[in-house]
Amino acid sequence: MKRLWTPAWIARHVAMVVLVTTFLGLGWWQVSRAAAGNAISWGYAVEWPIFAGFVVFVWWREVRHTLRTAAAQDEDAAAPASADHRGEAAGPDGVTAADAIDAKPSRPGIRRPVRVARVGAGPGADDAELAAYNRYLSWLNANPGAKPGDYPG
Amino acid sequence: MRAALTRYRVIAWVVGVVLILLVVIGMPLKYGFHNPVVVETVGQAHGFLYMVYLVAAFDLSRRADWPLKRMILVMLAGTVPFVSFWAERRVSALVTAEQREREHAPEPIAG
Repeated sequence: MKRLWTPAWIARHVAMVVLVTTFLGLGWWQVSRAAAGNAISWGYAVEWPIFAGFVVFVWWREVRHTLRTAAAQDEDAAAPASADHRGEAAGPDGVTAADAIDAKPSRPGIRRPVRVARVGAGPGADDAELAAYNRYLSWLNANPGAKPGDYPG
Repeated sequence: MRAALTRYRVIAWVVGVVLILLVVIGMPLKYGFHNPVVVETVGQAHGFLYMVYLVAAFDLSRRADWPLKRMILVMLAGTVPFVSFWAERRVSALVTAEQREREHAPEPIAG
């Protein structure tokens, strides 16, 4: 919660309230104009509250995003075991995994899926070692009771 | 991402053109010649098209993981006549460049 009361966040809260009151006020002004006989104002009277709602939506989304990022960081700090792979990335000059986490810019808790480029062996590229291993596997499969040491090949 | 960028570009162009119609033709007609018909029709349409523009810009910013400030600047750029076209070009160049960078960057193995 403390993260929502930084100066930048207070500015955002204030901006949200100012924008929403202004937009709703403009909407109300258009309603009064429409009631006074300016039929075209009915359209604007509908548009302004929608813009106000959009402001609230973006504000709420940012709040949730901040809270979720904060929760994810707390989890990371509480579970050092999950930081094993980060420890590998730590430099030799005594940089700990926790330092590395703190140094990272805040990121959303969702990461991209890992993609590994794999080159498929073509039908023409016969690997002698691979063929031998496959023969060994098929032998094991054909002789369920046999131990690997019994393989004659 | 590419589809979101295209959606954004299309609606940005439409909103830009409608806004210029409104300012260059509608306003002089209304205030100079007391003929408000263009402002009344195009003005309403512009309001609703601008909502579509906001949604498209929001969608693009979410996909491209923009900071809040950039998203708001892009949204506001759609309200300024003529500037909206320049903003659209800058956004397109930026998103394309970022995407190219992402494609050429080595994929993380874990974490």
